[in-house]
Amino acid sequence: RPPAYGVLPRPCRALVLLNPQSGAGRALEDFQAVVQPMLAEADIATTVFVTERPHHAHEKVRDEDLSQWDTLVVMAGDGLLYEVVNGLMERPDWEDALKKPLCILPGGSGNALAASINHYAGNDHVAKKKLLTNCTFILCKGLHTQMDLVSLSTASGKRLFSFLGFGWGFISDVDIDSEKYRRLGNARFTLGTLQCLAKLRVYQGRLSYLPAAPEQDTPPAPRDPPADSLLVPLGQPVPPHWTVVPEEEFVSVYAIYQSHLGTNLLMAPAARLHDGCIHLFYLKAGISRVALLKIFLAMARGTHLDLNCPHLRYVPVRAFRLEPRAAAGIMTVDGEALACEPVQGQIHGRLCPRGRQSLPPTQEPPPPPKQ
Amino acid sequence: GLSPPATTSGAKVWGCRQWHRTQGRLFPPSEAPAVRGVRAGPSPPLRAVGVRGAEAGWHGAVGKGPGAIASAQRWEEPPVLPVPTASLVLASSSAYKRFSELLPKEERENACSARLPESRILTLPELRANPFQHQICRAFSTSEEGDGSMSFEDFLDMLSVFSDTATLDIKSHYAFRIFDFDGDGVLDRKDLEKLVNCLTGDGEESRLSTAEMEQLIQNILEESDIDKDGTINLSEFQHIVSRSPDFTR
Repeated sequence: RPPAYGVLPRPCRALVLLNPQSGAGRALEDFQAVVQPMLAEADIATTVFVTERPHHAHEKVRDEDLSQWDTLVVMAGDGLLYEVVNGLMERPDWEDALKKPLCILPGGSGNALAASINHYAGNDHVAKKKLLTNCTFILCKGLHTQMDLVSLSTASGKRLFSFLGFGWGFISDVDIDSEKYRRLGNARFTLGTLQCLAKLRVYQGRLSYLPAAPEQDTPPAPRDPPADSLLVPLGQPVPPHWTVVPEEEFVSVYAIYQSHLGTNLLMAPAARLHDGCIHLFYLKAGISRVALLKIFLAMARGTHLDLNCPHLRYVPVRAFRLEPRAAAGIMTVDGEALACEPVQGQIHGRLCPRGRQSLPPTQEPPPPPKQ
Repeated sequence: GLSPPATTSGAKVWGCRQWHRTQGRLFPPSEAPAVRGVRAGPSPPLRAVGVRGAEAGWHGAVGKGPGAIASAQRWEEPPVLPVPTASLVLASSSAYKRFSELLPKEERENACSARLPESRILTLPELRANPFQHQICRAFSTSEEGDGSMSFEDFLDMLSVFSDTATLDIKSHYAFRIFDFDGDGVLDRKDLEKLVNCLTGDGEESRLSTAEMEQLIQNILEESDIDKDGTINLSEFQHIVSRSPDFTR
């Protein structure tokens, strides 16, 4: 099925949600110096909303009338877009709200989505300033398309929508730890990795999943808000056609739905914005520190699976469930820490089957898949 | 600051210990060690110190040689507590107990003057699985033979630096010294390579390839070398560490 692309109207009115702390405090400056001039040329008028605290953006998009904007642009890290997505999903008119294209401009903090979009657009891997320019250019061109979302439900009753990835254990530890190093502007995954490597831990839990079958059409999900048709309640055992991973000790579990885990970490090279697939990775207990380091280093080029490390498993799935034995280990969703508890999630490809899907950040039509 | 507790019935006087009894050049002059275990100037910026016999005197700058800690391991039992003095004495006696338990029975009477061989120290649960166990012993050992053996005071030194109550400043100073394998005051590529090899262990497992090591060191330097001179100096190191107190645990 050929992807459908929409184009932003011209002139275009954009609401820019910006976190002034992003990029070591340079986000606003970068916006004015780099982004605004380009958008002006592309006939995109911007109104900047500077966030003052966590949840500020979440509340704004949840409560305000957004009809005056043609697109919502997030200039910050993935965390702010996470707030926006979840704020939109809380609206009673979420279906309409989701029709509005979203855009991410890397503000200098965790920018995995921006790096992924840059990758899908067929661009070379680039660093901060250039990544910002590339993403702004993509916005200027105004093409947008659909993006998959994953809905996550937790044992404590939370329901969250995620566009990047969900993790537990080592990778999440590094994600959160390297956050501390971000104040100087760059994600410091290497330092975070070395630190976590030194106190390498194993976590006990059960992992189950629904493998992705090729060419399977997602049945249209009932509305209000999109129901998790693939999931049964957390208290019940997983459906019989699910796979239960026999091992119960993990170093890490990571379910990613974009290509990049971080600007320099190409975790799922085959992932696309709407491939209807969750790329599930898990690291079994027993992996040596050397092997883990090799995987991390290979991830810079996306060749980690070629190492054939027996402790690293990858499987494309449409839904999964993770039940930690104890509340041990950090869980993250889209780079934000979450309480450690049983979680399950499923992909929602093309959230609104009828008509145009709203989620998408703007992007270039992807190049034909390289095989 | 701490003042020495009163002598009790001829027992050793426990005074303030200098936590930085190593090469003075790594430490700011304002924290220069006092003599004879009794602190003369303003108290050092730390809350917990070990104690040691005043008559043992000042070890002076004991050359530790290259060899450094990278403690990534958390001490489960903080043996040294901050003031008041009574708890200090209590805590050091708990450390004393641990020390003497590691000695062979016949030496326990004279634990104060005994030296614990490295092999016994490495049986401590805190060190057993620590990838930097050897470097840690070398860093605190005052043995002239360089065999990693420790006196009780060395032992106390070690426990106090790794206790929860030691400040980040102390921990990072020791960590840096331990990472600085060649003792030249900066962490260069060779030091970083050694550090990574310590972290990954010396098993029959394959090590990183040359290319992988190169990539890793490049990443480390990119992420921490602020002045871009190709090495990590103490302040750059402390900058990283200050972002994450866990780093030196």
